[in-house]
Amino acid sequence: MSVHLKLSHPNRIYRPSELLKGKIIVETQSSISHYGIRITIKGSVNLQVRGGSAGVVESFYGVIKPIPIVKRTVEVKPSGKIGLGTTEIPFSLNLRQEENLERFYETFHGADISIQYLATVDISRGYLHKSLSATTEFIIESDKGDLLQRPISPETVIFYITQDTQRHPLLPELKSGGFRVTGKICTQCSLSSPINGQLTVEASAVPIQSIDIQLFRVESILTGEKIVTETSLIQTTQIADGNVCRNLTMPIYVILPRLLTCPTIFAGPFSIEFKVAIVISFQSELSKLHKKSDSRTPRLWLAMETLPLELVRTM
Amino acid sequence: MEFRPRDYKTEHESHALPRTRADAHPLSPPLPPLTQVNDAVVGGNADFYDPLRGGIDNDAKSTPPDPDNLSETSADQPIKEWTSFRRLLMQRFPVSKMVSLSSMPDVLMRSGKSHDKSSTSMHLEELDDPKKFADEGVKVITWQEYVSRLHELKDEITRSWLADNRVTSLKLSIKVAKLMVDTSVFEFYPTLFVLVTDIMDMLGDLVWKRIKQKAEFTEDGALLCNLAENFDASDICADAKETCYNWFSKIGAVQDLLPRIYLELAILPCRRFLLDQPTDSLKRLVMMTRGLGDPVASAYCRLYMAHCAQKLPSHEIGYLVTCVNDLRVILTQTLATNESNLGNFQNNKKLQISLMEPAIEYIMKCIFIGLSQRRVNEVLSELGLMKNQQNFGTVSCVSLVLHHLLKELPIEVVSSNVVHILHLIEFNNDDSFHQHLNYRLLGFRLYEGKCPVDIVNAVLDKVMQVIGTYKSLDEYLKVIDAYADLIHQNHMDNHLDIILRGILERASNGGVTIDEMSSLQSLLVKFLSHFECLEDVFCLNHFPEILDILHGKSQDVVFLHILNMATRNGRIRDPTRIQLLFEISRTLHDNMEFLNAKNDDSQVAHSVSRFVHMVDYGAEMEHHLAFLVDCRASFGRFNELKETLVHSSNSLAIQSLQCAKKDLSFFKSCVTFSEVTIPSISSQRQFDLFLETAEVAFLGGLVSHVDGLIDSGIICLHILDRVDGFRTSADVEGLVSSIRKLCGFLIMVPGNISLPVTYFPNNLFSLISSQSWFDPKIKTQIFSAILLLLTTLSQKTLPYHANTQIPGNDMLYYGDSSYKQELDSLSKVVLENLVCAVQQEPSQPARGNMALEACNCIASSFMQSNALSSICHTLIGTAKSCLSGQDRCLQSTIQLVNKQSPTLAGAMVSTSV
Amino acid sequence: MVLVLALGDLHVPHRAPDLPAKFKSMLVPGKIQHIICPGNLCIKEVHDYLKTLCPDLHITRGEYDEESKYPETKTLTIGQFKLGLCHGHQVIPWGDLDSLAMLQRQLDVDILVTGHTHQFTAYKHEGGVVINPGSATGAYSSITYDVNPSFVLMDIDGLRVVVYVYELIDGEVKVDKIDFKKTSSNQSAH
Repeated sequence: MSVHLKLSHPNRIYRPSELLKGKIIVETQSSISHYGIRITIKGSVNLQVRGGSAGVVESFYGVIKPIPIVKRTVEVKPSGKIGLGTTEIPFSLNLRQEENLERFYETFHGADISIQYLATVDISRGYLHKSLSATTEFIIESDKGDLLQRPISPETVIFYITQDTQRHPLLPELKSGGFRVTGKICTQCSLSSPINGQLTVEASAVPIQSIDIQLFRVESILTGEKIVTETSLIQTTQIADGNVCRNLTMPIYVILPRLLTCPTIFAGPFSIEFKVAIVISFQSELSKLHKKSDSRTPRLWLAMETLPLELVRTM
Repeated sequence: MEFRPRDYKTEHESHALPRTRADAHPLSPPLPPLTQVNDAVVGGNADFYDPLRGGIDNDAKSTPPDPDNLSETSADQPIKEWTSFRRLLMQRFPVSKMVSLSSMPDVLMRSGKSHDKSSTSMHLEELDDPKKFADEGVKVITWQEYVSRLHELKDEITRSWLADNRVTSLKLSIKVAKLMVDTSVFEFYPTLFVLVTDIMDMLGDLVWKRIKQKAEFTEDGALLCNLAENFDASDICADAKETCYNWFSKIGAVQDLLPRIYLELAILPCRRFLLDQPTDSLKRLVMMTRGLGDPVASAYCRLYMAHCAQKLPSHEIGYLVTCVNDLRVILTQTLATNESNLGNFQNNKKLQISLMEPAIEYIMKCIFIGLSQRRVNEVLSELGLMKNQQNFGTVSCVSLVLHHLLKELPIEVVSSNVVHILHLIEFNNDDSFHQHLNYRLLGFRLYEGKCPVDIVNAVLDKVMQVIGTYKSLDEYLKVIDAYADLIHQNHMDNHLDIILRGILERASNGGVTIDEMSSLQSLLVKFLSHFECLEDVFCLNHFPEILDILHGKSQDVVFLHILNMATRNGRIRDPTRIQLLFEISRTLHDNMEFLNAKNDDSQVAHSVSRFVHMVDYGAEMEHHLAFLVDCRASFGRFNELKETLVHSSNSLAIQSLQCAKKDLSFFKSCVTFSEVTIPSISSQRQFDLFLETAEVAFLGGLVSHVDGLIDSGIICLHILDRVDGFRTSADVEGLVSSIRKLCGFLIMVPGNISLPVTYFPNNLFSLISSQSWFDPKIKTQIFSAILLLLTTLSQKTLPYHANTQIPGNDMLYYGDSSYKQELDSLSKVVLENLVCAVQQEPSQPARGNMALEACNCIASSFMQSNALSSICHTLIGTAKSCLSGQDRCLQSTIQLVNKQSPTLAGAMVSTSV
Repeated sequence: MVLVLALGDLHVPHRAPDLPAKFKSMLVPGKIQHIICPGNLCIKEVHDYLKTLCPDLHITRGEYDEESKYPETKTLTIGQFKLGLCHGHQVIPWGDLDSLAMLQRQLDVDILVTGHTHQFTAYKHEGGVVINPGSATGAYSSITYDVNPSFVLMDIDGLRVVVYVYELIDGEVKVDKIDFKKTSSNQSAH
């Protein structure tokens, strides 16, 4: 005896204005009677604060009460019987109801913040039998109507990276020989298109080892009067491998990872933001002793520029 | 038995067809009136006289423009080209046994741990090797191991794909692509490239097929649509597009640049499911490739790009032009940075650049395939070579790039910009490619097109000036070689003198290497081929001295060429020329022991023979004979030549007879020369040569020589038996014909008082009877011939007399009854043996034909008698039993026999069989 | 209407350096449909030259031919005529009518073309026609060294044949013709 849910969209992505459709599939060796088949959808923002940040009082640590987004149950079938074999019961329900204009945040799975939508089927079989149930996650992407009203003007930032723009100590040869890497990168970006930009190595006395574009996620949670912020590296994309030619412009082209990104959110109790960093590694004997790591630990052979990145959902 | 009397003269006169003077004939230059009359009747057949029209017809048939065919071949062409390009690439950079890698990628280890984990649970990021810098030190692997591991990986990728573990396939493909990062073993890189791109192409195909499947069929396998070859992105259903998008996202998430580019290129054709014109992707990929710092890796990445882009429907080439421009920048920087370094590094740089060359070559080819003139100009200006749409500026474009550009440029563009190209070559003199090879290429291209003489002149003046400064003979020759045809074509003989002197100076300064020798050889052969007349060549200053420089194989080739040239146009009469050619021939002959190839030998022997044949001293026949004597002494190793000497001296003997003042002692010398030369020739050819010499001797009246020569001929038939490898059926047939020819000759040869009158026929008969290897068929043929000979000898007047001064047997033995008796008795014996031989033949059809041959011979030789009739009937009976009644020869033979015996009605042979 | 060139006994280069220039200038590619050559060319270069005149080339073997693969005899059919080819040095006596008739019976042909004597001849007997085109180079033969270069061109049209005889006499090409018809087949000749 088993039950599971099959959603109509193979990629399980739905918009709040859409009908959530699918099939309840029951497989059983003998016919069973039930007291009704119900579907429940539940969406919520789950928050947790870990003791990552130094100096934070321990009492803040722990799970914070989730923020509900939606919770609704509909009956698909009144009580009755299910015959033996495989039975498919179609269902459909509105995600958003007219009278209830809750904000459907997009699905997101971060380190501390998780926005999740679940659909659960329950086949209740009275007190004598354990009810049958199954749960599946579906993914919410914003409705066209909810999209940013202002047109997305490709906002590009021009950057210069030289030995003088670095706030951390550099290798002496880097400091003395100097380098200059320029370029531009868009800082407001649609989730469905890549981060675009370009970069040129104009000069560098020390040969370049690698140039990478690192994508960071910044999750902030308001607990009491404090804001706890967690920054994590979610993707590294190499755009230059080795000592590239000077003055040849290279493209920055980073496709955003689907499940690890969402539109930038500034809600009251929490916020999700992104940052992009251009990291230049120079060839050095020292660098070989260290594993490649994210740029938050500044090294002597690294130069970088970090910029905020606003992600938006567009058509 | 009685010989049938003949009257040859009357017979011939009565049967000769009447001749009349022909006023017009088919070979007369205008159309003959006779055929015009026919044309009126026959009509369309007049075409026979129009070879031109016939030609056009044929051409039209042989190349019908079939549009289907054309499109098909053009579609297959890039694939075929790529396949052969890959093969050449691997051959060009052969791999040494061991491959040392700076680090051992774990994909090459056979631990198999990488695919223990469930593929779905793995994030692609995990693929990025965290131990990238951890494994230090050089690892060594044999290249067979490396290659076989790659083949295994290819199989694993296919297997995972078929097991629906597509993520595993992708993961492994990424690891494979990553191998291309390591360029530390230069020589191995092209081979690695071929192997890896093979896997990439396979993955690309798999993805393409999968998305196409999704676009054409639902999940349940129901047909959605059939995608045309040139489908639009709008034809593709959302699900297929989603899958396609996912593939690009997955690949976009690959951290390392190089594998990311390779994989996107592999699935580049799939962009068509999303977009109609994926050109933007190409443009971006070209730019992304700039991020590859390693010059070799980035060149090969562009090479793969050029290959993948050919799978796209549109042939936009802008991205390729960018590729070339980028490569040019890379090369310039590579050349500049390494200049300060020394030794080993310099060698490395050379190797590095030679590794990059195939990529430049291939991309350049892709750019110029089927490009319009207008587009060519655009491309040139995009390459920065045409500053104001008209001129190539003096731009730095790296000589290697220039070389391949010059190679691919359409010929009209080369022709119309020669001077500017010349400037470009002059200006771009760097270490990436030898400048002289670009001058050389320009020469070849110039010859390809038709340039005005003044331009050619200008170029040549410049080039001559440039190479005048060259110290190396090799470089000098390489450039000259390319311009030799041009110089001749435009009759710029003023340059020849300078060139030959230039060669001589450089050769005498530093000696000549093997390579230079072969260049010199090809140059001289080229020179020679442009001259009609050998004298003109030898008139050139320095030419004889340059010939002296030659040695070994090259000397042979050039000398052989000269020899062939000399014998091309008729007789050679000038004594000094004969002397020179003789010396050349002797050198070739003496060099022969160094040559092993059999072909070369026979070619040389053949050419020398031809030369000897062509020599003509005219009235100085003694000199000619002396020349032949010299040849015999000098060319002992050429067997073929000795035959030539015999033919020549025989011909010379005849020539002396034709002179007004006959010199019999000279004639005798010639015959004697032949006579003593023949024994040193292989025995298979001796018989015919003895016979020819005998004939010649006879024409000159040397009867005693004739007898001796015939004797020698018959004796050499004895020896033949012992020669192995002689008896091929063609050889035997030829010999039998020649023996029959001897019978034809013996008709004229007068009897010798000291010998029996049937001395030669009898000798021949005994020889044939006694030698076991003469089979029944041969015996039948030769015995028939002897019978015919005896019959002819019995006639009152012989059919031919070659020399009226020598009385024939018809005169010698006129009315001599013992002569007739001897002929009679020998003919009886021969006849018996002939009939006997026919019956000995085991094969039925052969026996039938032999019986007919014998019967024909007997019936035409003898007067009919009862005894003979019965012999003929027996033979016809044999023939009937062996052959079909419809056999035409059988029927005509029966007719002949019946005609010959009209009085014997009872003995008539029935023609009904 | 078919043109058949018959030429033989060139003996190049043993007895002559090449074909007479006057002949060469007349023989141009494209005019002739078949070439029959009774033999003694003698070298490959001559064979190659003839091939350029007409690719349909038939050769039998003379005793001095370098190429030993030529057959001793050959037959071919052109229009309504069956032609036979043989060098003729093996026919005894050389050029004898009765002996040639014997060969013609063996080959069962309407026209027999032979060489060897280096003298142009054309005979008709009850079995058919026998033609000897002579020597195209005027090479000396077994019986004479006074030879005029000659060859033959046969124009075969239905049952009619016009034989053109080209002879080089004192530096001039003289052309004669001989006209004959095939009256009946061999079989009913008698």
